[in-house]
Amino acid sequence: MEVSRARGSDSRARLSLKKKNLMRWVSVLATVMAGAPLCSCRFIPTADVQSLAAGPSQEKAFDPDKMVASDWAGKVIPYFEKKAGPFAEVRDLAAKSPEEAGARFGYRPKSGEVPWTLMVKLEGIVVEANTESRAATIGVDTTGKGKADATVQIGPALRGTTIRDALDFVSFNDFTNQIDFARYGKAFNLYVDHEVLEKLPRDALIGRKVAVTGAYSLSSPGETPLVTPVEITLGPKP
Amino acid sequence: MPQKDREVTVNLRHTMAGALFASAALLISSAHAADLIAIITPSHDNPFFKAEADGAEAKAKELGYDVLSLVHDDDANKQSELIDTAIARGAKAIILDNAGADATVAAVKKAKDAGVPSFLIDREINASGVALAQIVSNNYQGAQLGAQKFVKLMGEKGNFVELVGKESDTNAGIRSKGYHDVIDDYPDMKMVSRQSANWSQPEAFSKMESILQANPNIKGVISGNDTMAMGAEAALKAAGRKDVIVVGFDGSNDVRDSIMQGGIKATVLQPAYQGAQLAVEQADAYVKTKTAPKSEKQLMDCVLIDDSNAGKLETFQLKP
Repeated sequence: MEVSRARGSDSRARLSLKKKNLMRWVSVLATVMAGAPLCSCRFIPTADVQSLAAGPSQEKAFDPDKMVASDWAGKVIPYFEKKAGPFAEVRDLAAKSPEEAGARFGYRPKSGEVPWTLMVKLEGIVVEANTESRAATIGVDTTGKGKADATVQIGPALRGTTIRDALDFVSFNDFTNQIDFARYGKAFNLYVDHEVLEKLPRDALIGRKVAVTGAYSLSSPGETPLVTPVEITLGPKP
Repeated sequence: MPQKDREVTVNLRHTMAGALFASAALLISSAHAADLIAIITPSHDNPFFKAEADGAEAKAKELGYDVLSLVHDDDANKQSELIDTAIARGAKAIILDNAGADATVAAVKKAKDAGVPSFLIDREINASGVALAQIVSNNYQGAQLGAQKFVKLMGEKGNFVELVGKESDTNAGIRSKGYHDVIDDYPDMKMVSRQSANWSQPEAFSKMESILQANPNIKGVISGNDTMAMGAEAALKAAGRKDVIVVGFDGSNDVRDSIMQGGIKATVLQPAYQGAQLAVEQADAYVKTKTAPKSEKQLMDCVLIDDSNAGKLETFQLKP
């Protein structure tokens, strides 16, 4: 929360800050507000009560935004730099052998049934821009054929928990429950939006060069990969 | 100390003959009876829990176990008694879809202390290191799929209602969070009512009736599970409101049929049958070789079901 406060200069950031503050307060004021629109928040106290109940050995209050902010530059980015492969190579290998592509360029937990998350570096030209939706995306042509072969999320709303799911040093076991784990996943999306994507222009995107480091989930093989960036560089207007 | 050891010790303390008799009895029982696996779930009235129990039972029998299948009806006290029963009957493992994230911790610990490992399915508990496995659907991922479909069907705007599940169940909270993390990105989507119907079909029916009276101008209902979606759909139908978009969560055959008849618009398939079978496989590995699962908390991704793939859905599995 401190993190977003420090950066709450733009109206969109302020909006999400307001929303977050409100969530905190609603959780404090608890059940009176139980019917209000923002009440996905009323489940937060459970975690707080849990950590209190568990006694002093338990860590201080769970703060996913802080965790993400403190790991980003020192752990997350270096990890992506090390694991990400050239987009065409990763995609082609994944089509042939998801296991091999996953082992070289990706991660998935050892137990359970979740698809590989693959890390890629891609360069190309923006040939499509869907900026009407809040879950905005650009279509990138990486081969020069004039057709998008990768879709890149540019926010402000980012779908999925792809960044979290790419990290081999993160385990669901370390979280009290799915709710905390989800909040942690969402915190990555908010961080990327604030720190990486917010400053991107929303118009005249088509025709520009773009370079992206990011990840995509192999959840629907055969479909155009939906890449969530951790880094993005946009060239000048053509 | 495991209960069985304690019994043997007591026997030893009595007479040598008693001890011999006890070990002879143990030998006989292990030679003749198969090992027992207890399967404890909420009421089978909800087809989701039935599918889960059936999946676990089929796998356990396939692996040569006797099965004790019990229901706790979402009553934590009853669950505690059933766990006592499982321990007393000498179950080698418990497959459990539990009756409350907090209330269950002590019961599972009791089984662990008695030497009976628990393998949790569907619902989490708020503690790790007590159960050997917690295999849950990736509810957040699934809820986001459902919400994205819902937003699309709603044309990104309009009044809607959310029906929430049982509050003691983390799945109610996580699905609601998944829904809102998507829907709240659309400022023209307005939630006019949010109520818990405790996963129950009749409760959802009556809640929906009164919500509809207060808010006749609704365009959609997003529900935390399929039984509540069925209840809401029935109430809407009874009120002549076939225009209202309903989206559920589970992937039950009832909702599949409704989708194919143009009623409910979508749901999210949880791999319930598969998850239950995976739990039994992990229990079997532990019973036979003392190998615990690599990771206690395990996620299984969900799949969106709509009119394009509903025909392939059968008992919580997607046919190829």
